[in-house]
Amino acid sequence: MLENRSLGSAIYRLVLKGAVAATARPGQFVHVQVGTATDPLLRRPFSIAGIDRPKGEVTIYYRVTGRGTALLTRVRAGETLSVIGPVGKGFTVPAAGELLLVAGGIGLFPLLALLAAVDRLAVRVKVLWGGENRRFLEDVGRATLFQMGVDYAVATVDGSMGHPGLVTDLLQAALAPETAAGQQAESAPSGGQAGALVKSPEGRTAITVAACGPKGMLQAVAACCGRAGVPVEVSLEERMACGIGACLGCACLVRTAEGTPVRRRVCKDGPVFDGREVVWDETG
Amino acid sequence: MKPVDLTTRLAGLTLKNPVMTASGTYGFGEEYAAFYDPSRLGAITVKGITPLPRRGNPAPRVVETPSGMLNAVGLENPGLDEFLTTYLPRLEKLKTPVIVNISGFSLDDYALMAAALPEDSCIAAVEVNISCPNIKQGGLAFGTDPKSAEAVLSATRKNTKLPLIAKLSPNVTDIVTLAKAVENGGADIISLINTLLGMRIDIKTRKPVLGNIMGGLSGPAVLPVAVRMVYQVYQAVRLPIIGMGGISTWQDAVEFMLAGASAVSVGTANFVNPLAPLEIIDGLAEYCRQNGFTAVREIVGLAHR
Repeated sequence: MLENRSLGSAIYRLVLKGAVAATARPGQFVHVQVGTATDPLLRRPFSIAGIDRPKGEVTIYYRVTGRGTALLTRVRAGETLSVIGPVGKGFTVPAAGELLLVAGGIGLFPLLALLAAVDRLAVRVKVLWGGENRRFLEDVGRATLFQMGVDYAVATVDGSMGHPGLVTDLLQAALAPETAAGQQAESAPSGGQAGALVKSPEGRTAITVAACGPKGMLQAVAACCGRAGVPVEVSLEERMACGIGACLGCACLVRTAEGTPVRRRVCKDGPVFDGREVVWDETG
Repeated sequence: MKPVDLTTRLAGLTLKNPVMTASGTYGFGEEYAAFYDPSRLGAITVKGITPLPRRGNPAPRVVETPSGMLNAVGLENPGLDEFLTTYLPRLEKLKTPVIVNISGFSLDDYALMAAALPEDSCIAAVEVNISCPNIKQGGLAFGTDPKSAEAVLSATRKNTKLPLIAKLSPNVTDIVTLAKAVENGGADIISLINTLLGMRIDIKTRKPVLGNIMGGLSGPAVLPVAVRMVYQVYQAVRLPIIGMGGISTWQDAVEFMLAGASAVSVGTANFVNPLAPLEIIDGLAEYCRQNGFTAVREIVGLAHR
């Protein structure tokens, strides 16, 4: 472990040096043992936010939410952590077209890895990011986005920064045909036409969407993209134990091409899934 | 110096060492192959199968507990036919004895599965699961009533020549009664314990955490319960015992063997430390060497002297 630094808003940035970096891809995660005692017992999954292959480093961010992450904050640079990874299936990295990254809160982090992997000479990228308030967005990574020189728009629930409301408002605007390039994102017009393939102003590129955030947000993002006929990949989160597909603890439900609902493991078959295939409400 | 003899005999079954993996924690044998060659284990026990495919319970299915975890997977599995056609050929390639765990909702279910499992494959034994707490009918109901437990073992015994392992539930008042019942029913080996029924409540939402409300407790927290039951059953029946329940280190394994287990099974520890079974094999050998035992089977039941 090279760095474990508080960013504020209970968010930490942790840099690891090791074999994971050699094969890690955007959207994959690492399964980290946070202590050596039996309590807390299970490893914690953290999505990979940065991959530096030449240096052999990966960066993860985590939010302190319980005893496991609280313990992790005490690990000092130079100490060794037991890490399994990289694990899971990551995002598709598009080679051309337009990529919209839709993040809810700390869902920004895995999207940073995707952002870094995209050839931005060939792909036009825009980040749409929603959070509670300005303080959170500033603490969590607005500077990082700025440093990466990426086009972005933000939404806050309390209206303290960017669009007052939800990030899905920004997405609807960006996908609406009349605002194809997303310039009028803040005005949040209604959704796009069903089945219409959205073109850029040049009329040549297709849009794809990659999203990470709370389940309700992802469901709304998937619905929005479905209406606009835009492919969407979502990174799901679920309580897991083994992290490698053996325990079946992190099951989710997806619909096959034939429409049959089948179980998938978030850790091994995901965490990134085609947003059109996910069954969001199992009881419904 | 002569190496310690780790071979283990369980009824008609001979294993190269006494360390295996517990059902539901080792998938269908392939998930941990990235970490080590599964053939180094005494045996592997695969995810429990039922006659028909099961989708299992809704999420969340796992939650952490003090030194343990609760799971409510609900026996998600591809079903008997898919197991035989897709998974069994892949298991053959692992070159390791496979224990197939079977669960059912009626006597006929168990009988049917016992009959369908080939006797000339990598399947070394059949573990009859009469103790799953996560399914509504069958499962635990068979494992808490001695008459039903005996009947399930009798029904499977009639249909296979493979060694039969009865997996017992700790969710009973008197484990010895159940152990005697499965011995009468024709079990060759007893494995214990399965998980303990438990639950957790989220104090923010004020609702049970697990999608299925209750689940099975496993991990280091259950170890003393399991050691006690192995100790009790060892005194009461003649069948060999596979001890399991919270084993994560070689010291834990030694404790189970001293209590009377001829072999041990590693479950939840796989999730935390995928190399735990190998560390336990090495640790058992080292313990024997340092204490003057030439074979690991010499330590079985020593706590009863």
